[in-house]
Amino acid sequence: MKSNFPEKYSIKKTDKKTLLEWYRLLFLGRTLDERAPNYLKQAIGWSYHAPAAGHDGIQLAIGQNFKKNKDHLFPYYRDLQTCVSAGMTAEEVIYNGISKDADVAGGGRHMSNHLAKPEWNIHNVSSATGNHTLHASGLGRALKTYKENDAVVISSQGESSVSEGYVYEAINGASREKLPVVFVFQDNGYGISVPKEDQTANRKVAHNFEGFKNLRIIYCNGKDVFDSMNAMEEAVSWAKKEQSPVVVHANCVRIGSHSNSDRHELYRDENELNYVKEYDPLAKYKRMLLRYEKATEDELKEIEEKVTKEVKDAHKKAIKAADPKPESIHDFVIPEPYKSEKYPDGLHKGEGNSIKLIEALNGTLKAEFRHNPDTYLWGQDIANKDKGGVFNVSKGMQQEFGKHRVFNAPIAEDYIMGTANGMSRYNKKIRIVVEGAEFADYFWPAMEQYVETTHEYWRTKGQFSPNITIRLASGGYIGGGLYHSQTTEGALATFPGIRVVYPSFADDAAGLLRTSMRSEGLTLFLEPKALYNSPKAASVVPDDFEVPFGKARVRREGDKMTIITYGNTTHMCLEAAEKMSKEDGLEVEVIDIRSLIPLDKETILKSLEKTSRALVVHEDKVFGGFGGELAAIIADEAFELLDAPVKRLGAEFTPIGFNRILEAAALPNTEKVLKAARELAAY
Amino acid sequence: MKKIGIFYSFRSHKTKQQVKKMIKHLGEKNVEQVDVDVASHKDFEKFENYIFAVPTWFDGELPNYWDEFLPTIEDDSLKGKTFALFGGGDQKGYPENFVDGLGIMADFIEKRGGEVVGFTSVEGYQFEASMAQRGDQFVGLALDIENQAALTEERIEKWIKEVEKAFNAKNK
Repeated sequence: MKSNFPEKYSIKKTDKKTLLEWYRLLFLGRTLDERAPNYLKQAIGWSYHAPAAGHDGIQLAIGQNFKKNKDHLFPYYRDLQTCVSAGMTAEEVIYNGISKDADVAGGGRHMSNHLAKPEWNIHNVSSATGNHTLHASGLGRALKTYKENDAVVISSQGESSVSEGYVYEAINGASREKLPVVFVFQDNGYGISVPKEDQTANRKVAHNFEGFKNLRIIYCNGKDVFDSMNAMEEAVSWAKKEQSPVVVHANCVRIGSHSNSDRHELYRDENELNYVKEYDPLAKYKRMLLRYEKATEDELKEIEEKVTKEVKDAHKKAIKAADPKPESIHDFVIPEPYKSEKYPDGLHKGEGNSIKLIEALNGTLKAEFRHNPDTYLWGQDIANKDKGGVFNVSKGMQQEFGKHRVFNAPIAEDYIMGTANGMSRYNKKIRIVVEGAEFADYFWPAMEQYVETTHEYWRTKGQFSPNITIRLASGGYIGGGLYHSQTTEGALATFPGIRVVYPSFADDAAGLLRTSMRSEGLTLFLEPKALYNSPKAASVVPDDFEVPFGKARVRREGDKMTIITYGNTTHMCLEAAEKMSKEDGLEVEVIDIRSLIPLDKETILKSLEKTSRALVVHEDKVFGGFGGELAAIIADEAFELLDAPVKRLGAEFTPIGFNRILEAAALPNTEKVLKAARELAAY
Repeated sequence: MKKIGIFYSFRSHKTKQQVKKMIKHLGEKNVEQVDVDVASHKDFEKFENYIFAVPTWFDGELPNYWDEFLPTIEDDSLKGKTFALFGGGDQKGYPENFVDGLGIMADFIEKRGGEVVGFTSVEGYQFEASMAQRGDQFVGLALDIENQAALTEERIEKWIKEVEKAFNAKNK
């Protein structure tokens, strides 16, 4: 295809040295690609392999246009040739294929054929195809923010994955923010067995984006080395010069099956299988080298022999290389957090005036933004003149720190999360706070990025840590119903790779937020919105207060039973305990765990040594709630201490109704806590 | 009449049948068939009048053999040379790229000073977009044996007469 961009490269214009180096790379990529299935046949590994054959032209061009340690590249699972062209060696590719500890993507932790080299900015991406487009936009934002005008982000994916909603969010955001990102669609006509006409109405999915402002679209023949090189060079230089995004739509063929778990002969006829082979980009390139006398048969043969030996040598080395050790699974789940020297237990003896929980949050955010110039905050509705979020938690921040550090996001929760993931890849100094959604219950569209981001540190074997605090205004008691009054931590706390905190007082909110924003890693910071302005959650907050993760706080001492709680219900438990003291003469210990993950088991178990009775209370549903874990831990580790079964109290297993009568019926309250506590005391 | 060079891939049997029909009209002595797969610059330069068979592949691409041949003449001036283009497409299967190959080739020729003749009306075809369309005409003869096979012979006969006239007019 002859497209509308300059033709810098052609068989006649390109020098022989470059042409032969391209042949070497193409032959190396193809040799590895063809060798991959043998490892599975011999039960050595590479059990996931998506062949690159047929995409060779565009993949060579992507790799050649990527400048390591300067640009950023997000290859997808079919991009073996891309990574070879970008400079990855045969050895590195095979280590990844057979999941060795030396695999530079992450020591065999991620699926095979998911090639990466974070050290060079070749990013380790998800198997959830296309979700790295959001990361690419986030990194594009970082390049723009840090004025790296000579760098670009290249994101690559198959055409069928463009059907994912988040791809539209990513490109919409890149278009709106004018981000230097090149989105490459490698179009081979299929998503596994699904023909592209089942994905979208336009045959060329890039047509779907033609109305996007600031976005250039370039079409090329991904099977042709020269057309692909010209297209990619134009795309990269245009994105840098104009500081705007580009879509490169490259038509390819898929010569093989989708992957080794697919049998394409079940849905492709012989004619098609023959003509895609006839359009093999490598064969075409070789014919052209010979036809235009850019190389002799002997020269090409010499290259082929050298590559074959290189791959054989790499194979021998890789086979002998160490496997990851089973005991290493617990390494790199989450980075070590910031350590508080002044407040190692997260307690203080501050004196003075109490402030509200919302003031504590606002003040801590501002203090941390002053402390670290590489902090950023974005979310929905968080910064417009005097408004700073629906609850005004971020009030005044944009005025003080500017629009490049504090800004509104589109109503696209996945984009909010995904761009945080992407931007935090830029450097380790960056700390991002996102309001993941206007209310916690609106966070669900971001779940795929939430899950994805919990994997990053582990999957890269500690090479990339998303340093993000996700703030969510959580919980009920405001008459908000579905999407405004539900609690979500039961579901959100099930993923390794994230810390979950849920304060109930102003001082703990400030201390935990400071620790989150100073720590590496991902923290879910749940804010009991019903307590933002509540006098009972107000407290004295030292200016520099810090609460380490995994440190519970005994809010009231007692010997009859231990109530273990957090968030909104801490206050109900304290009220119930006071009543029991006055009316029943029983002293109840109330532990506010503050931090669900990591959990301070020690404080809980120590308390049970004294009380022998445990009541677990939270606002979330009893069934499937985090209290189930607490009860199970107590049963496992403190059964001998107990004089009664562990009792649990929380919301009913129903959605939360909008009518306040319905809400009250579903949620726990002081009376319900009191009733449960009395039952437990009487056991 | 000066000899016409008919360039096509000899591996394409459908095209060969179409070329046969054209030769029948033009007379064998007036044409020379050239296999694009192996054509050299020498094979190209000896003509002033050309018929190129340019089918459209995939979502609007030239077949490999044209991609591989065109660099041979990419630095040439085609001034004074006249080209007539025909080629197959599938207006139902690929309505967004119907006979794009003709348009790509016409652009290539015109950028180098060559003249393209033998435009045909878009009437009688149903498609959404084509790089071969200029106003209400295609830049050559669009054949669709997938959906309008019965019209092919008549279309070729009509077109080749016009092409012959155009070549003769140029050669006067």
